[in-house]
Amino acid sequence: MSDKYRPPAVLALFLDPQHLLRAIAAVREKGYRGLDAYTPYAVHGMDKALGLKMSWMPRVTKTMFFVGATLGFTFEAWTMAWAWPLNIAGKPFISVPAYMPITFESGILIAGISTFTAVFIAARLRPAPNFVPLDRELTNDHFGLYVPVRPYESGNVQAMLKELGAVEVRDLA
Amino acid sequence: MSDDVNLHPAQLGPGPVVAEEPPIYRADINLTQVNRELTAAIFRRPNAWWWGGLLVALGMLNIGVYVIWVQLHVGLGILGLERPVMWGTYITDFVFWVGIAHAGTLISAILYLFRQRWRTAINRSAEAMTIFAVICAGIFPLIHIGRTLIAYWLIPYPNSRHLWVNFRSPLIWDVFAVSTYATTSLLFWYLGMIPDLATVRDMHPGKFARKVYGAVAQRWKGTARDWHHYEAAYGLFAAICTPLVLSVHSVVSSDFAVSSMPGWHDTIFPPYFVAGAIFSGFAMVITVVTIMRKAFSLEHYITIDHMELMAKIILATSMMVSYAYLVEIFMAWYSENPFETHIYIWLRFFGPYAWAGWLTVFCNCIAPLIFWFRRARRNLVVLFIMSIIINIGMWFERYVIIISSLSQDYMPSNWRYYAPTIYDVGTFVGSLGLFFTLFLVFSRFVPVISIAEVKSVLKHQVAEAAPLEESHV
Repeated sequence: MSDKYRPPAVLALFLDPQHLLRAIAAVREKGYRGLDAYTPYAVHGMDKALGLKMSWMPRVTKTMFFVGATLGFTFEAWTMAWAWPLNIAGKPFISVPAYMPITFESGILIAGISTFTAVFIAARLRPAPNFVPLDRELTNDHFGLYVPVRPYESGNVQAMLKELGAVEVRDLA
Repeated sequence: MSDDVNLHPAQLGPGPVVAEEPPIYRADINLTQVNRELTAAIFRRPNAWWWGGLLVALGMLNIGVYVIWVQLHVGLGILGLERPVMWGTYITDFVFWVGIAHAGTLISAILYLFRQRWRTAINRSAEAMTIFAVICAGIFPLIHIGRTLIAYWLIPYPNSRHLWVNFRSPLIWDVFAVSTYATTSLLFWYLGMIPDLATVRDMHPGKFARKVYGAVAQRWKGTARDWHHYEAAYGLFAAICTPLVLSVHSVVSSDFAVSSMPGWHDTIFPPYFVAGAIFSGFAMVITVVTIMRKAFSLEHYITIDHMELMAKIILATSMMVSYAYLVEIFMAWYSENPFETHIYIWLRFFGPYAWAGWLTVFCNCIAPLIFWFRRARRNLVVLFIMSIIINIGMWFERYVIIISSLSQDYMPSNWRYYAPTIYDVGTFVGSLGLFFTLFLVFSRFVPVISIAEVKSVLKHQVAEAAPLEESHV
């Protein structure tokens, strides 16, 4: 969702996660899709309520750990055995046990940086000095439900969300 | 329930018998109050204590800057470094600060994996402590290498002489381990901070401040999808930081253990150093947190129960450290190796370094036993004093390990008594000043307790979300 264009949608504000989760279940039952929730903290059970698939973060971390570790080991072996082979205390050029700590650390370093970058991509994070949130209370004690609607449905959805305990309902056009 | 306690487990019948966990935070705290109280230090003008603290910290930092400047001009000879003791207090300081850093990762990563929800009270400040302690640790080897301007030679890069670093050396492992640790901890810390920075962005009345917090909060909206990926990534960071923190101090201990010096060449070193690191790190957390909760009135977030839990971890790690000391001495005696018995038994406990050896034993093994008493664990004055004693003890532990082995090596004609000079003290004071300066500045601009994480474990929030989850599974 870009900041400039907003497709027609309804935003409902709730005062506790319980009402929000109940509203999500009800709205989904009516067949509305593409819902999103705004919460001040990670609400337990939200993934299931919205039917979110497992995050792809673990795959990034796992893959990049092995990529990083392979790169680390290859680099050590290349410098010590090919680029400038040097006899150090008669040890083999590829001293596997001695190369393990850096192999491991490279794996962790690349995995950490990649996971961090992946969150930024997945949650579309970027520095935004002029960012204005939908509502300033959404990082405080309000729980928002975002329902994309067709313009003519807006009234009905608003009434339904009010009935489900929303303290405030807003048309985002 | 009370009758059940006297029964044999087999007589209890089905169903788990779990004592109800006491709430982590007071039940009457609501979400707005969390926002207001945890950001109070950002919006309020700092009080005289804060300014006083900053002044003292900056003063200490200045001492450090001055003595480092002198050392760079005159050379490291003024440190009392002379054959055979070429690793003086600088390596002691390095190991000390890296050890301090480890408790932060333990709290943020390992306690997270163990679902210890009380960690939410202290994880932000402990992680900050990690970053600042690693910065302090990094200073020492950089000066200690003697030619600080070419410190970048430690990094393998293609150079005109086609030379590479020796990857078989534990000192190079250190470079990789500590820099990986610093980077990963910094990313983990910042990742944990983003939702709270967004909270401050949305609360701040100032236009300019909103822009600044908006920039660092990275457009955080707190949507379910954001949280979904964020929580996954947070857990993964915890999972990779756990082996990382164990590996970093194992690598640091390898600086000694991989050598062939009596007193250093010891397979017990990696686990023993990790336990010691957690021990001293938790002591430092107590030192910092005791002052912080008082200065920012956070008594009902960092409760005495949380302090007691930290005291219990200190007691446990103290006993691990004591056990390692005993094993070292026993092995030295049992081996009948004259070099080992000389260093471990004679030199450290009866020779010229006996004062430091016994100080270590007193501070790390005997004094923490007071935490067997519940009243001591719940007394802030005792906790604070003990945290200082433990950190003195842990500094001297490293001092004894490094100095005693070096000063009397295999060749008696080479022996020499080592004593640090005022410049050693000055640099250490400077690092303390840097640590506290960074911490005080941090506490003014970032919530020192994680707002989003505290909210997620407030009892009524958890209780409210729970029944619904079951209803539509």
